[in-house]
Amino acid sequence: MPKPKEKLVLALPKGRILKEVMPLLRAAGIEPEPAFSDDGARQLRFATNRPGLDIIRVRSFDAATFVAFGAAHLGIVGGDVLMEFDYPEIYAPLDLGIGYCRMAVAEPKEMVGNDDPTTWSHVRVATKYPAITSRHFARRGVQAECIKLNGAMELAPILGLCRRIVDLVSSGDTLRANGLVEIEHITEITSSLAVNRAAWKTRPDEIGQLIEDFRRALAKTTSVLETVK
Amino acid sequence: MSDFSDKALLPAGMCDVLPPDAECEAAATERLIACFSAHGYRRVKPPLIEFEESLLDGRGAAMSGQTFRLMDPVSQRMMGVRADMTLQVARIATTRMKNSPRPLRLCYGGQVLRIRGTQMRPERQFGQVGSELLGSWEPQADAEVILMAVEALSDLGVNDLSIDLALPTLVPALLDKIELDDESRDTLRAALDRKDEAAVGDLSNKLGKATADQLTAMLKATGPADGTLAALTRLTLPKAAANELASLAKVIEKIRSAAPDLSLTVDPVESRGLEYHSGVTFTIFATCVSGELGGGGRYLAGSDDEPATGMTLFMDTVLHAIAPAEVKKRLYLASGTDSAEGRNLRAEGWITIDGLSNNGDAKKEARRLGCSHYLSNSKVHTC
Repeated sequence: MPKPKEKLVLALPKGRILKEVMPLLRAAGIEPEPAFSDDGARQLRFATNRPGLDIIRVRSFDAATFVAFGAAHLGIVGGDVLMEFDYPEIYAPLDLGIGYCRMAVAEPKEMVGNDDPTTWSHVRVATKYPAITSRHFARRGVQAECIKLNGAMELAPILGLCRRIVDLVSSGDTLRANGLVEIEHITEITSSLAVNRAAWKTRPDEIGQLIEDFRRALAKTTSVLETVK
Repeated sequence: MSDFSDKALLPAGMCDVLPPDAECEAAATERLIACFSAHGYRRVKPPLIEFEESLLDGRGAAMSGQTFRLMDPVSQRMMGVRADMTLQVARIATTRMKNSPRPLRLCYGGQVLRIRGTQMRPERQFGQVGSELLGSWEPQADAEVILMAVEALSDLGVNDLSIDLALPTLVPALLDKIELDDESRDTLRAALDRKDEAAVGDLSNKLGKATADQLTAMLKATGPADGTLAALTRLTLPKAAANELASLAKVIEKIRSAAPDLSLTVDPVESRGLEYHSGVTFTIFATCVSGELGGGGRYLAGSDDEPATGMTLFMDTVLHAIAPAEVKKRLYLASGTDSAEGRNLRAEGWITIDGLSNNGDAKKEARRLGCSHYLSNSKVHTC
């Protein structure tokens, strides 16, 4: 049914990445209403200084889902989520270079040395990313049996759930603290600006403008960083 | 679990369509076909099942992963259930109708079955309604098909249409002279599908800086047609790619002159869902739904590579985009009403519901059956 033009919705991921997103958002000239930075607020949808743009704050996996189904028109989505779901309805035109980490296979340090990964034909792995994990091992000719966990992957080897995990590693501190060692590097991860395909096609001017704003903000913030260095 | 719920469960992606949706779908299908027929497109009806060899031959191979197969116990040959009707119509045109005068205009409507639903279309069975125009290289043919789709959808009440034009042959034409290993080719395809500029930039040592820059410029140019065309013409492209672009410009010009207000975008690197196409293609969107209403474009039909273009509308998405049909007035006729009286009322446009036995209060019974009116003493009353 034909509706009047809706506001554009930008989905932002909660947590770690949000802190890095905010300076970029401001550089793009987008200022959320004050309730957005109030941790006590129960509100989920926020207005911005732009009358045609709202922000929602959701879990990082959900940011991609909202964009894929067109419930949010744009979002900031981690490369891990984009790779895991490979949503055909999402375009990721801009790598924002934030939320940097890597995805890796890890195992207890006692196993390293006795274990030759080239001889594997089957592995059991605990991970939040079953699709990336199976694809990674399939490429090497190894069948991966994934045990899906939503957090605290590092506990799995300690408590004997399975011996190996695939997880995001940023400093490596959590792995070390739990006696795990990174044995295989899968990929590097950063967050991107994600755009719903149909939204881009049906509202090319507004979406194009927003992408351009982020592109300019990105150029501005990276040049500042380089001067600091 | 009760007997009822056991029987009601259908395989994933299958559904029973009930009133009024089933009526609405049938009416919309007929109305679209009527519009195509009025433009001189003749209706054809291919079978549900064909031999796998012919259904998935050549360009049909693109649908191989989506096609259900079954063994024909009679001929002992493998058969496939159609997952798309375009290539069936192209087969009819280039075999049984090869002697019909060109340009040949055909249209069709029917159900297709796919192995997997997609995220936007979880249905594994859905209706396709479309038209094919065979035997012409003219940009006017591309414009005709697109404009007819717009006319038919507008007639159904789908507003705010937006046509996204693509040129799946442009990138291959650009990469023609470049030696690229398979892995880099796949990485590039994935990067272009995602419109990921950074990932295209990462491949610049394999592609050469000039080509990588051109691809990035194409990604950035995606958007409203006029801006995109202007940006693309500024690029120095190899001859084959430049020719592709010129034909796109011609098609846009023809559409613009016939429908100046139609929203047109161009996506120079789009290739998804356009596997068997060979020239200008298009996808139809509307602001009110988040999926594709349909699409189509240039392809080569049959073993003689006859030039053709066509379009298909996906009825499930089309139905999401249109307003529900108005509830028609239903009139209850108590048992014993004269049959001639009923005939006259139907001729006036009423839907009549006959009472099968004497149920006492006609008004009460009419309400129970969801009628808006009832007949009493040969007079129509509202419930």
